[in-house]
Amino acid sequence: MARESWGMRTRRQVAHAAIYSLLVAVTAIMLFPVAWMLTVSVRPNVEVMKIPPQWIPTVFTWAPYLKVLSSPRYMWTFVNSYFIAGVVTAFSLFVGALAAYALARFRFKGQRAVIMFLIITQMFPLVLLCIPYFRVVVRLGLYDTLTALIVVYTTFTLPFCILMLRSYFAQIPKDMEEAAMVDGCSRLGAIARTLIPMSFPALVGAGLYTFLLAWNEFLFAVVLIESWGKRVLTIAIYSLLAEFVTEWSMMMAFSVLASAPLVVAFIFLQRYVVQGMTAGAIKS
Amino acid sequence: MTLRHRFRHEVQAYGFLGPALLLLGLLMVYPLLQVLRMSLYEVNLRKEVWVGLGNYTALLRTALFWQVLWQTTLFTVGSVVMHLVIGMGLALLLHTKINLRIRNFLRGLLIIPWLFAPTVAGMIWVLMLAPFGVLNGLLTTLGLLDPNATINWLGSPQTSLLSVTAMNIWRAFPFFMVMLLAGLQAIPEDVYEAADIDGTTARQKFWYITLPALRGIILTVILLDSIWTFRAFDPVYVMTGGGPINSSQVFATVIYFDAFQKLQFGYASAEAVIMFLILFAFSVVYVRRAVREIA
Repeated sequence: MARESWGMRTRRQVAHAAIYSLLVAVTAIMLFPVAWMLTVSVRPNVEVMKIPPQWIPTVFTWAPYLKVLSSPRYMWTFVNSYFIAGVVTAFSLFVGALAAYALARFRFKGQRAVIMFLIITQMFPLVLLCIPYFRVVVRLGLYDTLTALIVVYTTFTLPFCILMLRSYFAQIPKDMEEAAMVDGCSRLGAIARTLIPMSFPALVGAGLYTFLLAWNEFLFAVVLIESWGKRVLTIAIYSLLAEFVTEWSMMMAFSVLASAPLVVAFIFLQRYVVQGMTAGAIKS
Repeated sequence: MTLRHRFRHEVQAYGFLGPALLLLGLLMVYPLLQVLRMSLYEVNLRKEVWVGLGNYTALLRTALFWQVLWQTTLFTVGSVVMHLVIGMGLALLLHTKINLRIRNFLRGLLIIPWLFAPTVAGMIWVLMLAPFGVLNGLLTTLGLLDPNATINWLGSPQTSLLSVTAMNIWRAFPFFMVMLLAGLQAIPEDVYEAADIDGTTARQKFWYITLPALRGIILTVILLDSIWTFRAFDPVYVMTGGGPINSSQVFATVIYFDAFQKLQFGYASAEAVIMFLILFAFSVVYVRRAVREIA
């Protein structure tokens, strides 16, 4: 291509500058609530409720964080959330990988029906499931237990894991597994030695998203959990609103502590999640 | 393949599927049948009395039911349309020939709202929208609002649903942005180059190349988002509890309150069945598309 003329070049530079400034402006606006959460979390509570609001905090304090971190009651909710999300993720990936393998590698009667069933389960209104779950859980003596939450969370994480892993498995050629089986591996052994290591990105992506779903869940936790010892983070944060004078700075500090691990993990691992989310949609 | 071989094959496939199907069957099919059954009874903690379609006729005669249907629709349509507009705008901006590192960095930052639990995002917005909050502060500073006449965004019936919708728009636009950006990146460059040679304007390129190429993704994300938003519970529950005077009530919250506060499980089941049918009608379009793609 011939060298650009001066006019074209300046025009292009102006266009670039406009795009950059627009992007930065929109990003700043969209991240304002996050920034506000951060600044409120380091103010004394009285400062938060001043009219007009103080854009830049004048008094700085770690006290809201210390209040959360020094309370055994709140720290338990972290333990509960990590435990639940961890178990749900491991379980969904394991059971999901088995099912995804069947859907990717076998042709069998009823395959279409199974896939349709999995897709439909993702459309269920969860509040509908709450009513029978509540009754069954109470009857089984599982009300107010973490077990109940772990089991019901798989209703929305498992179908997602199966479908995401299936599309990844289907792209991996069969040859490796077959070679391993010829060498004397059982089918499960062959899967564990070839397919699973090769699907690492999909497992990370699906695992992270599953963890996020379980970590952020609220409705089932409201319905099935009562005591403080069993509460999860989302419930604990919400419960701070109900008490008489709302402790805004403490609530925001709590929110920061509850959200930060996942935000950091996602920023580092975002390409796995993005790949997994978009893989299915792009093909259409 | 011999018949015996084929049979073994199918048994193996169902062996792998077994645990997942068994679990999902127990957790989805049984409860759905339970809810269908309960919707025909008057159920509270003590007794169950057969009322036939009584719950349904009572429901359809209640003004609140139609109000909730209307509000849920407003909430859903408002959220989805704005998600599409903002998501598409940002995807197009990020897809321009800007520095790759800056693009990935900004995309990473813009995803953040989507990572927050709706509960946490809701709390941040409750704080921002409070009478002493930053939104009123901003409007006063700009001279748009009299300092003595602060607006109670979540506490007045005129603005409560709008406020919850705004929060939901903010939290979930990154999903659209990410999907549409990936779609844009999948369009082969040479299509645009060919159009350049023909002297096509940027606007024509958008309408005749970009949009048709993204048609499939746009339809998929709109359907998914409509389903997710229509059944959403957390944003409304934590921000307004459906109030004041039901002005921001949606299906998920009204069902929750009828079941777990008023303990009218039968009536709530009937509401849930109707909600399920509406969602199902949406879903049929999505399910057919998705199944065609996979099987």
